[in-house]
Amino acid sequence: MSAVEARQDIGRRSRADAREKPRRRRGQPEREDIVPVALYGLHRGTVTAITVVCTIFALFILAPLVWLVINATKTQAEVYQGSGFWFSGPFRLFHNLHTLFENMSGVGVYARWLLNTVIYALVGGIGATVLSTLAGYGFARYRFRGSKSMFYLIMATLLVPITAIALPLYLVYAKIHLINSIWGLILPSMVAPVGVYLMRTFIDASVPRELIEAARIDGASEVGILVRIALPLIVPGLVTVLLLSVVAIWNNYFLPLMIFSHNDSYPLTVGLAALSNAAETGSKQQLVPVLIAGGLVTIVPLIVLFFFLEKYFRRGALQGSLTG
Amino acid sequence: MDNRTELRPSPTPPVDRRHAEAAPGAPAPRRRPARRGVRRDGYGAVFVSPFLIVLTVMMIVPVLYAVYESLLQTKLIGGTSFAGFANYEEVLTSGQFWSGVERVAIFAAIQVPVTIALALFFAAVFDAGVSKFGKFFRTVYFMPFAVPAVVAAVMWSFLLLPKLGPFSKLADAIGLHNTNFFSSKLLLPTIIVIVIWQWTGYNMTILFTSLRSVPRSVTEAALLDGASLRTIIWRIKTPMVRPAIVMLCFINTVGALQLFTEPQILAAFQPQAVSFGYTPSLYVYNTAIGSAQYNLGAAAAVVLGLLIGLVSVISASMRRRSGEFA
Repeated sequence: MSAVEARQDIGRRSRADAREKPRRRRGQPEREDIVPVALYGLHRGTVTAITVVCTIFALFILAPLVWLVINATKTQAEVYQGSGFWFSGPFRLFHNLHTLFENMSGVGVYARWLLNTVIYALVGGIGATVLSTLAGYGFARYRFRGSKSMFYLIMATLLVPITAIALPLYLVYAKIHLINSIWGLILPSMVAPVGVYLMRTFIDASVPRELIEAARIDGASEVGILVRIALPLIVPGLVTVLLLSVVAIWNNYFLPLMIFSHNDSYPLTVGLAALSNAAETGSKQQLVPVLIAGGLVTIVPLIVLFFFLEKYFRRGALQGSLTG
Repeated sequence: MDNRTELRPSPTPPVDRRHAEAAPGAPAPRRRPARRGVRRDGYGAVFVSPFLIVLTVMMIVPVLYAVYESLLQTKLIGGTSFAGFANYEEVLTSGQFWSGVERVAIFAAIQVPVTIALALFFAAVFDAGVSKFGKFFRTVYFMPFAVPAVVAAVMWSFLLLPKLGPFSKLADAIGLHNTNFFSSKLLLPTIIVIVIWQWTGYNMTILFTSLRSVPRSVTEAALLDGASLRTIIWRIKTPMVRPAIVMLCFINTVGALQLFTEPQILAAFQPQAVSFGYTPSLYVYNTAIGSAQYNLGAAAAVVLGLLIGLVSVISASMRRRSGEFA
């Protein structure tokens, strides 16, 4: 779009805005909401200058990701050649991906870590969502002895840092032989205080009390009301809490690093760290391409997940900030 | 800094609270007796109990047990005995531990303001729509949130590898020969850059959401009064999203104090630059897991938890004093 066209476009939009109630078009709700840029009376070139600044920062953000994609196609020797930002040598992406199924390093098999991570993230994420929803519903729609102080207690646990909780968990696990057990990671991952907060807020905003009262008069059980009446109304909240929990577990490093010593129970983060260590210390093997391809396969699922569920994430985050 | 992906509630802009109170579905004031649709017979405890049980078993009990362990001492000869505060004394007089605390304090003092300033700048730019392709940039900036800190540290370590990494070659090409980004001097700035790369987009998204909730009429009124864009952003909108900024300062600071992943991964590339107690979290890890001094590690974990708790309390009281924390 040329500058002239852009200004005309802005002009059109500002005229559209001048109408009494601009109708929200599907697909571009944001444009209608914002004050047209032309009204700010900016100098010529300001928009261009800011766009350039944004582009530079975008390059900074994208550089490592682009590097990862390009170098996942190379051999170990080629990774260290040239600028690193263009393809060279034989195209080895599929070969590199294939090595993810082998134990080349002696520290474990990447595919196994991927499977572990998927299990931890799904079981832990679903568990966190179920527990948070039950608790959020209990706090939003019931009053009972100590309910207020219990809620504040849960919010206070938000302040306990993960690095201060990981070692205590390790010490307890050592006592009761839970070291290397997958439940040692999954159970603490189910404790998501902010999930409780988000669900309580979400239920308060989207499950009318009158509806619950009506269902009670009709003779529905309390659990039946939650499952059949409340749940369908809070799906966006559920997806948000699930998404946030899955990301938190997928990226968690400190706790699994502490509690797992067998490499076949590692999640991706701990496995990749071990692989990185092996690649740096033992230079004989072709471990660097495995490491880079492994890094790529680790981040692709989450980025894809974000693209698909972005609207849920934003809506949920917004909800949390709106009705706090 | 994987700990920052820990779930936190979104900060509350003041504007929205007003809206929420006006909204028809909002909860009624506390004083009103016997709300419709709210049962008071204790049934709700059934719904809340599963979470509370897991919370107790997986968080409260381990912390209490760690406090107990931190008061013991295990010796090769003589076994385990009660040691009072001997472990705490050792941690609090350890130069290693305090140098780590000092390092993360410096780290936080630089990383947090820079991250939030960048995030606020871009959030304001995208909120006003004064950059082209705003939606595209927003998506790009948010992408590092989906990248585990381990992968981020590995990628950056290859990019910055002495002699062989693209950025070292670039530094060489512009006349800075033999730049070693992992040397003891440059390691902390390097980690700061990596963490800024990782977290600016997340902060930007939260601030963008808050700015977006400032009613359009506010901007329009300011424009009618002849305010410039800079005045609108700096004098009108930024003060309105102050609670969000304060909340982000707090979250980022707490995350910075727990710095662990980046130095731990970079240590593989440059072992001599990352000491035993480079950060307090590394001190806890190396003491307990590395040298199997569980009691000492437990004491260090408790001290670290209390230090971070102190920061939380100070920040909460600051927020309450400015009337932003309901």
